[in-house]
Amino acid sequence: MIQHLLYINHVSKHFGGNVAVSDISFSVDEKQIFGLIGPNGAGKTTLFNCISGFYPVTSGDIIFDNKTINKLRPDEVCHLGMARTWQRVKPLGSLTVLENVMIGAFSITHVTREAEKIAIEQLESVGLIDYAKKNAGSLSIGLKKKLELARVLATHPKMLLLDEICGGLNLTETETILGIIREVRDKGATIVFIEHDMKAVTAICDWIVVLNSGEKLAEGTPEEITGNPEVIAAYLGGGHNA
Amino acid sequence: MKQIAIIAVIAGIAAVLPLVIGESPYFTGVLISVLMMAALASAWNILGGYAGQYSFGHAAYFGAGAYTTMILISKFNLNPILSMVAGIVVACIIALVTGSIVFRLRGHYFGLASIAVAEIVRLSALNFDFTGGAQGILLTDVSLWGVDLNSKTPFYYGMLLVLVVTLGIALSLRTSKTGYYLQAIREDQDAAASLGINLAFYKNKALLISAALTSVLGSLYAVYIRFIDTSAVLDLRLSIEIILTAIIGGVGTVWGPVLGAVLLVPLAEMLRSNVIGDALVKQGMVSETSGLGVFLKENLAHAHVLVYGIITVLCILYLPKGILGLLGRKK
Amino acid sequence: MVSGGKFLQAVHFKGVIMTFFFQSLLSGLLTGGVYALAGIGMSVVFGVMNISNFAHGDLMMLGMYMAYFAFTLLHIDPYLSLLLIIPTAFLFGFLIEKVFIHRIIHHPHQNQILLTIGLGLIMSNTALLAFTSDPKILTTSYSSSAVTIFGGISLSVPLLLSFVITCLITGILFLFLSKTTTGLALWATSQNREAAQLMGINVSKMSAIAFGLGTALAATAGALIAPTYYIHPMAGHTFLLKAFTICVLGGLGSVVGAGVGGVIIGVVESMSSTYLSSDWKDVVVFIIFLGVLLFRPQGLFGKKGEQ
Ligand SMILES: Nc1ncnc2c1ncn2[C@@H]1O[C@H](COP(=O)(O)OP(=O)(O)OP(=O)(O)O)[C@@H](O)[C@H]1O
Ligand SMILES: [Mg+2]
Repeated sequence: MIQHLLYINHVSKHFGGNVAVSDISFSVDEKQIFGLIGPNGAGKTTLFNCISGFYPVTSGDIIFDNKTINKLRPDEVCHLGMARTWQRVKPLGSLTVLENVMIGAFSITHVTREAEKIAIEQLESVGLIDYAKKNAGSLSIGLKKKLELARVLATHPKMLLLDEICGGLNLTETETILGIIREVRDKGATIVFIEHDMKAVTAICDWIVVLNSGEKLAEGTPEEITGNPEVIAAYLGGGHNA
Repeated sequence: MKQIAIIAVIAGIAAVLPLVIGESPYFTGVLISVLMMAALASAWNILGGYAGQYSFGHAAYFGAGAYTTMILISKFNLNPILSMVAGIVVACIIALVTGSIVFRLRGHYFGLASIAVAEIVRLSALNFDFTGGAQGILLTDVSLWGVDLNSKTPFYYGMLLVLVVTLGIALSLRTSKTGYYLQAIREDQDAAASLGINLAFYKNKALLISAALTSVLGSLYAVYIRFIDTSAVLDLRLSIEIILTAIIGGVGTVWGPVLGAVLLVPLAEMLRSNVIGDALVKQGMVSETSGLGVFLKENLAHAHVLVYGIITVLCILYLPKGILGLLGRKK
Repeated sequence: MVSGGKFLQAVHFKGVIMTFFFQSLLSGLLTGGVYALAGIGMSVVFGVMNISNFAHGDLMMLGMYMAYFAFTLLHIDPYLSLLLIIPTAFLFGFLIEKVFIHRIIHHPHQNQILLTIGLGLIMSNTALLAFTSDPKILTTSYSSSAVTIFGGISLSVPLLLSFVITCLITGILFLFLSKTTTGLALWATSQNREAAQLMGINVSKMSAIAFGLGTALAATAGALIAPTYYIHPMAGHTFLLKAFTICVLGGLGSVVGAGVGGVIIGVVESMSSTYLSSDWKDVVVFIIFLGVLLFRPQGLFGKKGEQ
């Protein structure tokens, strides 16, 4: 039997009167690549912030690996094996690329040398090893996205939440990152993936949930979603060139 | 490791320095001030420079050490070392209270709250009886294991020892998990938290280390001067001098605070003892009885804080990373 | 049964207690008005520029000296001298922003704090060199006169005048912020600097205006308390911390909040002097400051979720 790794159970998040996430439920299975899509302002990032402990939910429950996590702090969520990246990248600017990734690795080791070893492995796997000694703040946006990925991978997560990790990247860069994601999944991790690029999403995801104005619009396999007239309407209505 | 070797060499030079310059109480006094300020700024730097949490109230920890030690020695005749340990405990309690209130918050609050706590401590010391109130505490006689504490030399070595320990801690933190975590917190708190860093825990850890070291220096200073009052050990000006020293040398670096102290303390000393005014008069550039001469003689001693202010402004505008930052040294 | 005499005594005693209370409340209120002015000045700067101005207390100190010298040298009544002090202080603040502050407006917060600390040190220690540390006292013909209201509550005339002027200035400021184009542009800048810039507002000019306003308000507050306080170069320090407490209490950047915060702090101070001891009144203020941070970091009037 497949295990549900993450349950989102009737989760809502309000900002004052603004309902950013409204009564969303879905579940993510182990070793899935799970797509979370929707037009701008649909509430995807807000949902990630709730799951990863940055926002308290207004109502509902978030259950990860059989534990209710919606009262936990971000660092506690991370230690349970869930790691996230940021849509607006957050490099630790005056530290080197290697040090950035080491800080991720320190969540699984106390030893500096060990952390360095893990970090180097991750830098090699995402192809950033040549930049190891560069200041993270000086990287191009594409490389910063790769750094985001390397950094969370260094925490050896069970589940990765990737927020537009391919946003602003060119085709070859996107291909590389999709390749890395597949590899990570094949090693046993589960991935939740926010993306605007429909081609990337349909190419890689096993299951997709579509959000629109904070509500769940549809869910299904990539084929079902791309054929769904409501989804198409939402995207066209949202003025998004998918 | 290279850095440890540098510490050892400098400590070695500093250790033989009193033998070279002989028993000049004046110069020994200035050197003690340099060592103390270097250690204070380095201790502050662990919290302010590494973790990016600027404390504007470090005088509270200095004063906690100084007052606890003086009270215990003068009222209970306790051994100075034990009194110093008690000072650390008091400073850590104050630090924990401050930290638990403020480290849940972001942005401007830590700086502001650190001042508020320091002011509460200062006013309490000023208004309670057991702290000597406005009179402060005077220590007539003190000895430790038969060592003559009336000479300055033991305090010179005491300060040197604390400085070396502080630098050692600063250096080993640099390459340890805690040090990396503190820097991550300084760079981006959200990113740090998402990578598994317990922000409040590590900020408190940095604050405790910093406060404990600062309090030891306060104790040492108190026994050295043998007189304390709130304006000497708990004043906001002291907190600001500590920050300036770290900033001017290079905040967040191991050696910046030391460099800052080496530059600033002698400068302040020169202004305070009016070396410049006297020199101008001696050179015959200004007549001692002219209006300017009298003005210089009477007022230049006050000017060192003014000079600090000017240096701060210039430093923030033109040298925000300090002198080490200018030299482009990374670590 | 209570005998008649004892009863009357009890009533009288109660009356004294009540007089005491209202005396303390009212003088707190009056002082609080002036604190509010200082707090509002700091809040305007914080709101528009997002800078904690640590020179604010020293700007107040300059206002005190301006009033003092206007009185002793030019023989202008301290309240009248505001007409001189306000424009001068505004210009001074405007220039300080143009020369120093605007260069670090995008710097990390601590650098901004340190720069304003440095500027404050320069101001207070220049004042020390120029005017020496001897406290000065501004004595007007009405300095120690008081009016008695409700039979027994006496209010100092200078404090009363200060309060009236404070209310007047706060009213004008409020109209300025809510009715004029510049005022609205200031408000827009404080809400969202980037958006204001996109709308064509000259945000760097707004910063200079805000700092000028903050300085003018600080100097005004200084001038208003000059007849009731010792004037000395380090007088700014106590007021700086008070102004911060007021701002945090009202919610950083909220003008109305700072106004109310000022009055609250004035009353708390006065009450703690009456019922505790004047030595401890500042401690009480700082404990309130920490309490607000602990339980309501957004301030009494700030929006929740803004930390
Ligand atoms: N901290 C916040 N305070 C107030 N409103 C917020 C906050 N964060 C998000 N929102 C609002 O929640 C809604 C959803 O925003 P969110 O960033 O989650 O969308 P998104 O699906 O990630 O969009 P995009 O594709 O542009 O990244 C928006 O209306 C946004 O304005
Ligand atoms: Mg988003």
